[in-house]
Amino acid sequence: MDISQTAIADRRREANPISRFLASMRDGRGFDILLVAVPLAFLIALSGLPLVYNVVMSFQQVDMFSLGTFWRPWVGFDNYVAVFSQPETWPILRNTVVFVVASIAGQFLIGFALALFFTMDFPGAGYIRGLFLVSWVMPGLVVGAIFNWILAGDFGVLNYVLKSIGLISENIFWRSDIAFSLWAVIIANVWLGTAFNMILLAVGLASIPKDLYEAAALDGANAWQRFWTITLPMMRATIGAVVSLGLIFTLQQFDLFASITSGGPNNSSNVAQYWAWELSFRQYDFARGATISTVMILVVMIAATIYVRSTRHEVRG
Amino acid sequence: MTTTWTQRGLLLAALTLAALYLFPLYWMYVTSLKTGSEIFATPPAFVPIDPQWGVFQYVWGLRGMGRFLWNSVVIATGTMVLTAILGTGCAYVLARYRNIWIDIALFLVLMLQVLPASLMITPIFVGFSQLGLLDTPRFAVILALTAKTMPFFVILVRATFMSVPSELEEAALVDGNSRIGAFWFVALPLARNGILVSAILIFMQAFGEFVYSKSIIQAVDLQPASVGLNAFMGPNTTEWNNIMAYASIYVTPILAIFVLLQRRIVSGLTSGALK
Repeated sequence: MDISQTAIADRRREANPISRFLASMRDGRGFDILLVAVPLAFLIALSGLPLVYNVVMSFQQVDMFSLGTFWRPWVGFDNYVAVFSQPETWPILRNTVVFVVASIAGQFLIGFALALFFTMDFPGAGYIRGLFLVSWVMPGLVVGAIFNWILAGDFGVLNYVLKSIGLISENIFWRSDIAFSLWAVIIANVWLGTAFNMILLAVGLASIPKDLYEAAALDGANAWQRFWTITLPMMRATIGAVVSLGLIFTLQQFDLFASITSGGPNNSSNVAQYWAWELSFRQYDFARGATISTVMILVVMIAATIYVRSTRHEVRG
Repeated sequence: MTTTWTQRGLLLAALTLAALYLFPLYWMYVTSLKTGSEIFATPPAFVPIDPQWGVFQYVWGLRGMGRFLWNSVVIATGTMVLTAILGTGCAYVLARYRNIWIDIALFLVLMLQVLPASLMITPIFVGFSQLGLLDTPRFAVILALTAKTMPFFVILVRATFMSVPSELEEAALVDGNSRIGAFWFVALPLARNGILVSAILIFMQAFGEFVYSKSIIQAVDLQPASVGLNAFMGPNTTEWNNIMAYASIYVTPILAIFVLLQRRIVSGLTSGALK
């Protein structure tokens, strides 16, 4: 009885395309496809299309008059030639490399040291370790404001501490001295990113089997040897992922530049991702802004591809 | 006995490290309580001599912080809700199937996650201005920000759904539930905690967002607290106590949420970020 009724219902459903469509929405793959298609369409509209538009604009002449239309004069590689013949371009790209390398090195080394420290067994280790992550959830502008004040030249507390312990004799004007302005942002960025590095590295450390260490200790290996022969080799995948994530996050850093140095003085702390915004929204040169953006997005995507490939087995879960 | 003493020593060292690391936060609160002349004292006082508790009310009124924070809440809530509605279903499907199309979609999502906001804002701004979206700037920021935050949300929530056994849904289907029913009444409730924590992370991220708001929202009345803080910090400012008071008011709610949900946030983050 039941079975024949279902069969009739099935036949009816097949007969009517609309009800078949509705049925698949309710019961079959149609529902799943809908669930995934709407968000992906949203992402393509608001991330994918801007990406393409960015590349298109970098080959166009964009000014206040042509801003409202899609059909602007095509200028080929003129924007690229113009950008790369500007005198400030190479110093800014050099700053970007210094910023990325110094930030990642600082975050990683301090984060790794802290992660190793917190693998030791003592009460409250997990909770105290978690507290470090506040730096990661704070608004970038607030972090920038605090470091603005800590790094202030005349009355900043960092200068006071450095002078007290005898490291410097004169105040360093972190934000206005062209030799230090980039390092002011790097210090703030290292503080911001260390906790995130530490947590990810701690996850990797926790997954190393404990009996490896016990066996090595029985064989007479000291702590230093155990670190080099067990910890580092076992952490290779995690370290690769953390460093490429660090590269991705460091190239996204904007708030600290906006709040600490604004890229100045005289571009001494300017980096590509801030410069692109400055060209578009300070000088209203959207074509050059788009040109820098295109170049940098290409760099980020290469880094991301390496990251995805290095964690491929984990991505597939 | 010796282990206990070692452990106490380690605990002390850990607390010292945490205190050193969190010193910038302490310095923010302490500076906000100092008088205008005390902040420039040498040596700096590490505990305020005459705490100015009135500073918070003063700065709140002076900078119109109620309006700024309201705008931040509007943008953060809108982004969180839109991200959760769109992202949950996407994460669910990406967790349930495994074929070439899912791999492509996952790769797309991961790629879109890494695009820096300060580079994407140029085409988004020009495109939005052509579509007339700049007339509703807060909505425009919510749209742009959702596209930025959704990939991260999808990655985190997908990890949650993968820990929900699909046998439970199959059982629900056998019991006569529809596909929607199995998703709505079985999978969703089991993944509720993971979705909630991820949504809160998105809220906190959107609450502090700066570059989209700064570029898209011109009217001061509609700007969030991050843009307000940026305007408060002029290049030659001296009122650091007031600026730190502003920063304290802005960041304290986020810190409160974080301390309350610390364990869940840390475990949610670590389960998703590396997978």
